[in-house]
Amino acid sequence: MTSAAITHPDAAAVHVDVRRISQRFSSGRGRDLLALDRVDLQAHRGEFVSIVGPSGCGKSTLLYIIAGLLRSSDGEVLVDGKPIVGPDPDRGLVLQNSSIFPWRTVAENVAFGPQMRGVAESERRSLVARYLDMVGLSKFANFYPRELSGGMKQRIAIAQMLACGPSVFLMDEPFGALDSLSREVLQDQLLQLWERDRKTVLFVTHSIDEAVLLSDRIVVMSPLPGRVKEVVRVDLPRPRQETRTLPEFGRLRGHIWSAIRQETMEVIG
Amino acid sequence: MTIVTVSDSASRAEGEGPGAPKSPAAELHRIRFAAVVRYYPVFLIFLIWEILSRLDLLDPMFMPPLEDVARTFYQEVFVTHELLHHIGVSFMRAGAGLGLAAVAGIGAGVLMGRVRVIESFLDPLISALFPTPKLALFPLMMIFLGIGDASKIGLIFLGCFFPIVINTYTGVKNVDKFFIWNALTKGASQRQLIWHVVLPAALPIVFAGLRVATSTAFLLIVASELIAANDGLGYLIMFAERSFDPALMWSGILVIAGMGFAVDRLLLALGGRLFVWQDNNK
Repeated sequence: MTSAAITHPDAAAVHVDVRRISQRFSSGRGRDLLALDRVDLQAHRGEFVSIVGPSGCGKSTLLYIIAGLLRSSDGEVLVDGKPIVGPDPDRGLVLQNSSIFPWRTVAENVAFGPQMRGVAESERRSLVARYLDMVGLSKFANFYPRELSGGMKQRIAIAQMLACGPSVFLMDEPFGALDSLSREVLQDQLLQLWERDRKTVLFVTHSIDEAVLLSDRIVVMSPLPGRVKEVVRVDLPRPRQETRTLPEFGRLRGHIWSAIRQETMEVIG
Repeated sequence: MTIVTVSDSASRAEGEGPGAPKSPAAELHRIRFAAVVRYYPVFLIFLIWEILSRLDLLDPMFMPPLEDVARTFYQEVFVTHELLHHIGVSFMRAGAGLGLAAVAGIGAGVLMGRVRVIESFLDPLISALFPTPKLALFPLMMIFLGIGDASKIGLIFLGCFFPIVINTYTGVKNVDKFFIWNALTKGASQRQLIWHVVLPAALPIVFAGLRVATSTAFLLIVASELIAANDGLGYLIMFAERSFDPALMWSGILVIAGMGFAVDRLLLALGGRLFVWQDNNK
């Protein structure tokens, strides 16, 4: 475990490069709220990076800036060395609450991205079949989202993102609204998916367990203003299916918790 | 917002119950029977009406026996075809006004919801004009557009435009930010965003506005034809009243009531079909 090592020696492999991002929100009454304060973060190609921190640390805001949905007050985001100018299907996004479209069937939801870029109907069908199979929901192709459980909806959201062929996955507490059983199942599925394709993942969560289980590195943030407090490397062996029982798991967990305990208490208290 | 009323979904649920008949003909019969049962108060009033006139308790100058009304109706529809002409004319005017209002109202509502400059320009105008009773503008419309079809279509357009534009604007404004973000990260252009996300998401509310506008259109068509027209159902009712023909007057009234009811039911059925995806338990 190495702490506070933000820059990586192998700079060529940096895939997503967040440089001194600051974000100010005007809160009315002339006072500005500093949501993010000069945040630096690098994710290397094929790396699984989690961002954890108590509420108010700006972790979701940071993710939306990387997605190109919010414009930062200061700093820049580079992907493959080029500054981003807006949202792009190459940076896929999965949100916490089902953002899949309720007026589209499961299959139509998965086909959304390809349809937007003008992929032919027949090709779309095979893409849908492939990604629905990947998330294990082929049987539900013609269902509407309202007929599905929360966990199924999130799997559709993941399939919808996969169908756009992104090289970066941006995930904003994708399992945050699920019950703990569904959550563990989806964590395992995501790990399998990632271990096969090795895409770059930026994963926002408030669950330390989840971050330790999934990540190569964990960016620990502190709130008000949102800052990177520490970067923790997770050197647990993969695959991680049995990781929860290792002593190292508990040690990492305890370390991260002690790093953010103080601020979390302040935020909650 | 739900379009389908509680009683509608209840009657649909009945049809899907385990006791539902299998054959389509039997099913149709059952639906008809269910409709009669459900609207029995209407039939009861018709029955009381008929009995009271037979007992000479109603002044035939105001309330002729229902049988006379039915006979007149039959005569006007199947023999002289007079009534059909009036229905056609009224429908055309109402439909033209409503159709134009739908196009303009949905267009303006979407623009208001998506473009800040247009929103800040139109919002105060609409807020100021919306409470004005549009019928008060009818004399003005006649000065500008004459006493023919144009002034009536114009009046209906005005009356229908407001509920449609306000609902569309509200619906577009309230589209979940995350739907829009999701679409943008999947490569949707601004135009695709409107067509594939904003409009479908707002459609249930837009549709509710259309329903309100439809009843407004019926109100205004009759009112404007009562005031000044040479044909149309409003004219027919007024003409019958002036020529002491209460049976004809009642035919006109019942036809317009039936039309309003039928069109509203049609819209409800269409809404139920369009919005199967909606989660009504939310």
